[in-house]
Amino acid sequence: MVEPLISVRNIKKYFDVGKGKTLKAVDGISFDIYPGETFGLVGESGCGKSTAGRTIIRLYEPTDGEVYFNGENIYKLSRSEMNRVRRDFQMIFQDPYASLNPRMPVEDIIAEPLDIHKAYKSQKERRDRVIELLKLVGLNEEHAQRFPHEFSGGQRQRIGIARALALNPKFIVCDEPISALDVSIQAQIVNLLKELQKDFGLTYLFIAHDLSMVRYISDRVGVMYLGHMMELATSEELYSEPIHPYTQALLSAIPIPDPEIQRNRQRIILEGDVPSPIDPKENCRFVDRCRFATDRCRMEIPEFREIKKDHFVACHRAEEILKGNIS
Amino acid sequence: MEVKDLAVSFQTYFGEVEAVRGVSFYVDRGETVALVGESGCGKSVTANSIMQLLPVPPAFYKRGQIFFEGEDLLQKSEKEMQKIRGNKISMIFQDPMTSLNPTMKVGKQIVEGIIKHQKLSKDEAKKKAIEMLDLVAVPQPEKRVNQYPHEFSGGMRQRVMIALAMVSNPELLIADEPTTALDVTVQAQILDLMKQIQRKYGTSIILITHDLGVVADMSDRVIVMYGGMLMEEGTSYEIFKNPKHPYTRKLLDSVPRLDMDRSESLHSIAGTPPDLYKPPKGCPFFERCDEAMVICKDHMPEKEYHTDTHYSLCWLNHPMAKGATEGSGI
Repeated sequence: MVEPLISVRNIKKYFDVGKGKTLKAVDGISFDIYPGETFGLVGESGCGKSTAGRTIIRLYEPTDGEVYFNGENIYKLSRSEMNRVRRDFQMIFQDPYASLNPRMPVEDIIAEPLDIHKAYKSQKERRDRVIELLKLVGLNEEHAQRFPHEFSGGQRQRIGIARALALNPKFIVCDEPISALDVSIQAQIVNLLKELQKDFGLTYLFIAHDLSMVRYISDRVGVMYLGHMMELATSEELYSEPIHPYTQALLSAIPIPDPEIQRNRQRIILEGDVPSPIDPKENCRFVDRCRFATDRCRMEIPEFREIKKDHFVACHRAEEILKGNIS
Repeated sequence: MEVKDLAVSFQTYFGEVEAVRGVSFYVDRGETVALVGESGCGKSVTANSIMQLLPVPPAFYKRGQIFFEGEDLLQKSEKEMQKIRGNKISMIFQDPMTSLNPTMKVGKQIVEGIIKHQKLSKDEAKKKAIEMLDLVAVPQPEKRVNQYPHEFSGGMRQRVMIALAMVSNPELLIADEPTTALDVTVQAQILDLMKQIQRKYGTSIILITHDLGVVADMSDRVIVMYGGMLMEEGTSYEIFKNPKHPYTRKLLDSVPRLDMDRSESLHSIAGTPPDLYKPPKGCPFFERCDEAMVICKDHMPEKEYHTDTHYSLCWLNHPMAKGATEGSGI
């Protein structure tokens, strides 16, 4: 049995929004990420997926919970101990226009992590490493002295990836890395991420709202809704046999680029909008929009449990849905 | 509605940007036509030209005509256009927050639109505004009509935009990325709503989007644009099932599908779209095309018809190029 690289246990991240109110962005989620895999985290805006990603690598201080990395609870580490662990964690951001300092040449942007962790002995070593990284992501030496505005969106995302790779990390949180790019460029970046993963044995947490892309890149996928994890399974299983009513609705809402299939599909159209995450009620978070909701769903939060092998669901009626008793 | 050989450029500090370079298409009553392409392909400029929403200068119309009910919109004065905009032709935009007035109650904004084009009293107009909100399925319309845009969620705001666009029962609705800013479940609601409204009123829709799934869901015909030009046009089935232009094929291959095998690799298109300061003389896709031939560099192909409704602009489809097969490119 392979040991997980990262174990997330019941993490919570609350934000105080004033007047005694609390925004529960992430409200107790648990899962494991195994070495070399891509774990996809999906959900609609405001479901807490980005906050979860940032809290896991402690960019946000957690409200509660534990995250184990190499057997060590990183939430217990002091600031200097955390700096040591930080080398192994990196992040790639959504907006390649906002995440690169416009006043820095590319060489300094990519070398910044090296500077911070004093990871070179000479200027030559620093420069060689930058050039090596540029080549890895499909850019070249001449790009080193240019500034971010001279690059297209796809190229900027490549620079962001080169920076993330600088310290040979083990784990990379990719927060919507392709959402701001055109489709033809998205494919370039996704292919690059896959190649790098193969070459360096990287582990990804891939956060996105584009479910078709997440299915394509991820080995396992978790679905979040209003700060809770609703369902978790392998990519194939989640998309072919979703159990949670929310996952079912979410998947049926994605339009398939094939008119014949798309127009003959049975679709579940959800009513209403995602409710507010400020002081949510202690019940199933999806209850108001769920077509299978019962009184029990309004009374207690369903437990996130393994309903069949490697397939976790938080729904009181998961067994009935699985048996096909309700649909 | 018919667009004939439309060319629009922008005068900038660095010179002329030829955003749209000779585009022709038509939209029939009650049908949905999708304009598809990547950022900068000219799809939004084309749509904004129909409404004449481009600032002149820096924009200028180089040539072409836009016929709507037999009259050329490009020849109309601003005053005449105001009678058409929001009345016979309406538009909805990607971001409903920036296209609604944040300081004005939603109801008042709809009432303004009604009074501008219809002879109704204020009370009648308000009643109509409530009816419109009800039509687009905004719950509790009597209460919502007195609220401000910030009190609405993204999906609800887009419903308000649609209500606003539909008040005068337009012949043509231009939807510029109407669901791009929305979550998928909300997107499904909005697309559903647009279809219902179209069925009810027989509105023609020009749908501008980069999301091929939305295109497959909504459109009768599809127009693929690249580098300010049309590359291919056909019915939805023809474009998705039998694409004839290498760009269309590449575009379709570069999106992952829910029903595809995960071990299949995603086809990316190397490079980036052409610079429209100095647009290429030949086919704009030449630089990124695997199947390019010598002729493609300097000569733009003519329309080649595959069926009555399906044409493409590619030298590979020229009758004399029958011998050309994949891999024979340069």
